[in-house]
Amino acid sequence: MKLLRRYWLTALAILVSGVVFLIPFAFIIMMAFKDRKQAALLDFSWPQGLHLWDNVVEVVTTRNWMLLTAFINSSILTVASVTLLVVFAAMVGFVLQRRKAKWNGLVEFLILAGLMIPPAIVPTIWLLQGLGLFGKLHGLVLVEIAYGLPFSILLYRAFIATIPRDLDEAAIIDGARPFDVFFRVILPLLWPVTVTNIVVQSVAVFNDFTNPLYYLPGNQNATVQLTLYNFQSQFNSSYNLLFTNIALITIPPLIVFLFFNRQIVAGMTAGAVKG
Amino acid sequence: MKFNLKSMAMGGVGVMAVLLASGAAHAQSVNLTYLIPSGADGVAVAEELVKSFEAANPDINIDIETRPGGSEGDNLVKTRLATGAMTDIFRYNSGSLFQAINPQQFLVDLTNEPWQADVQASFKQVVTAPDGTVRGAPMGAAMGGGIYYNKAIYQELGLSVPKTWAEFMDNNEKIKAAGKVAVAQTYGDTWTSQLFVLGDYYNVSAAEPDFAANYTAGTAKFATDKAALRGFEKLQEVHDAGFLNEDFGAAKFDDGLRMVANGEAAHYPMLTFATTAIVASYPEMINNVGFFAQPGDDAASNGLTVWMPDGLYIPQTTSNLDAAKKFVAFVASVEGCEAQSRAGGASGPYLINGCTLPADVPPAVSDMLPYFAEGGQNGPALEFLSPIKGPALEQITVEVGSGIRPAADGAALYDEDVRKQAQQLGLAGW
Repeated sequence: MKLLRRYWLTALAILVSGVVFLIPFAFIIMMAFKDRKQAALLDFSWPQGLHLWDNVVEVVTTRNWMLLTAFINSSILTVASVTLLVVFAAMVGFVLQRRKAKWNGLVEFLILAGLMIPPAIVPTIWLLQGLGLFGKLHGLVLVEIAYGLPFSILLYRAFIATIPRDLDEAAIIDGARPFDVFFRVILPLLWPVTVTNIVVQSVAVFNDFTNPLYYLPGNQNATVQLTLYNFQSQFNSSYNLLFTNIALITIPPLIVFLFFNRQIVAGMTAGAVKG
Repeated sequence: MKFNLKSMAMGGVGVMAVLLASGAAHAQSVNLTYLIPSGADGVAVAEELVKSFEAANPDINIDIETRPGGSEGDNLVKTRLATGAMTDIFRYNSGSLFQAINPQQFLVDLTNEPWQADVQASFKQVVTAPDGTVRGAPMGAAMGGGIYYNKAIYQELGLSVPKTWAEFMDNNEKIKAAGKVAVAQTYGDTWTSQLFVLGDYYNVSAAEPDFAANYTAGTAKFATDKAALRGFEKLQEVHDAGFLNEDFGAAKFDDGLRMVANGEAAHYPMLTFATTAIVASYPEMINNVGFFAQPGDDAASNGLTVWMPDGLYIPQTTSNLDAAKKFVAFVASVEGCEAQSRAGGASGPYLINGCTLPADVPPAVSDMLPYFAEGGQNGPALEFLSPIKGPALEQITVEVGSGIRPAADGAALYDEDVRKQAQQLGLAGW
């Protein structure tokens, strides 16, 4: 009884998170095992017969192995955007927090505007076309950075406020140039918030659907989220293949996070103690 | 040393020659891009068309791109046209959506292409820009809006295909008495709820041939016009008589197909493009599924309401106009129809003169053909005759079809919705 009273909230939380996270995942996996006819029922039932391998082969080979191209494109896109995002956002956050200048107000306004004003697609495409970057992967990398930057800057700025200024001053007295102060003293201390940024932004970029759809036309430019539309249309969907595709593109990020989980948590706690 | 130099020079010349040769080969072959809505069946048809076309034109290469359907797809098409990033050829709706992409500004004029002579006039009118030029070619087969029925149930209960609404309701009564679901409705996908109203338009036009013109002019209304109101009344009648499946409010389009194919329900009102989806999901049941036009009140004027297929268009920004025109001409030819049939796209009659359907089409398709043959009767749906279609129709038909709102009320509400749409379009007289 005492045990129940003490742990009921924990038990409830575990139960709710199980319902919210595991049941949809189990649904995806079970759908991936079904054949088209059973999948069309869209119900939570045990698959009749094992069709997983057939589904996987069909999903991977559809449209001339489009899924493989898509994985390569999405990986490049995610890694490049997130790397640059982290570097740029940390730099802006650092300067904005440490140096009081008269244009700080303007910069902060621009950051908030970036968060609040919805981006317009047609002018962005005109700009990209003018720069010769439309329909190119590096053009989309820049778009993703621009869309993600305000949020990342806010995270970094708040965190840098907790790092004592004495550290910079000590480094400067020891003869560090501005770049050394940032890259060798500050950036390593930012690891916890960098991890947060990497996790949040890579999920956002990897799962992005509309930006690749509009800014990156063409089969050779497909990203993983766009491949979902190979199996889904307004009137006639192959749910077994759709869910197999969902499983295939959900599992790699999952594996990455399981694999790096320890580093991520270690980074967070180490940073917490240091900071 | 000297010898070496000489051989290097020779090699250089050789490389140059190879480069030149490959350059020449490149100049000959043309790469086109072709944008279609996604979906396995549409992709299969496009791939078969491209394959047959490339076999006949080895110097042209076509790359198929897909896009989402629905309103996301509408946005994408408009964006790509506006930014000049459209593919060389693309497939898009005809009728009112075609008018919405501003065809005069963005699409190539195809009025004087030789193949237009073989395109049926009923299709040309739905891809004609406001200035009277034809800017598209038919892609796919015409669709009928009517009622799928399960032949096994009809056989078991000794029923015959109804020619009037009264016969249809009699059949439903017998099916219900036999303990089966008479009419499947799937309001979980709201768009499916409009079929009884939209599919009734042939009966409206049979009773009042100039309804569409009066409706566009704002003088004929659904609520006050007896023939037009029948569509809403029919929707209410099947609900009030208790003919619907229990989960009609939550069931989806796919459920409707399953019910009518497996004999879980006897009727399902739908557009005939669904035949391809039934073939894909329930291939062994396809011979059980038949089709008839939505019956009116008079057996003599029984006819089918027809939806026009998508069109194939060329944007003015294409850099390979001649090659793109060749592909469009191929699709609008008898070989093009045959390629579509091979890929399983024969869901109804084509709109190209001289195109025939293969002999082994599913019964739901062959049931459609009498309406198009000599002596058969068919007419386009209202949305192809008038630019006004109220956006809230599907919500209103869900209400009427679920017994929440009486038919006359629903029709009046729809008239109000139509008025807003007409004012937005800036039509005179509203």
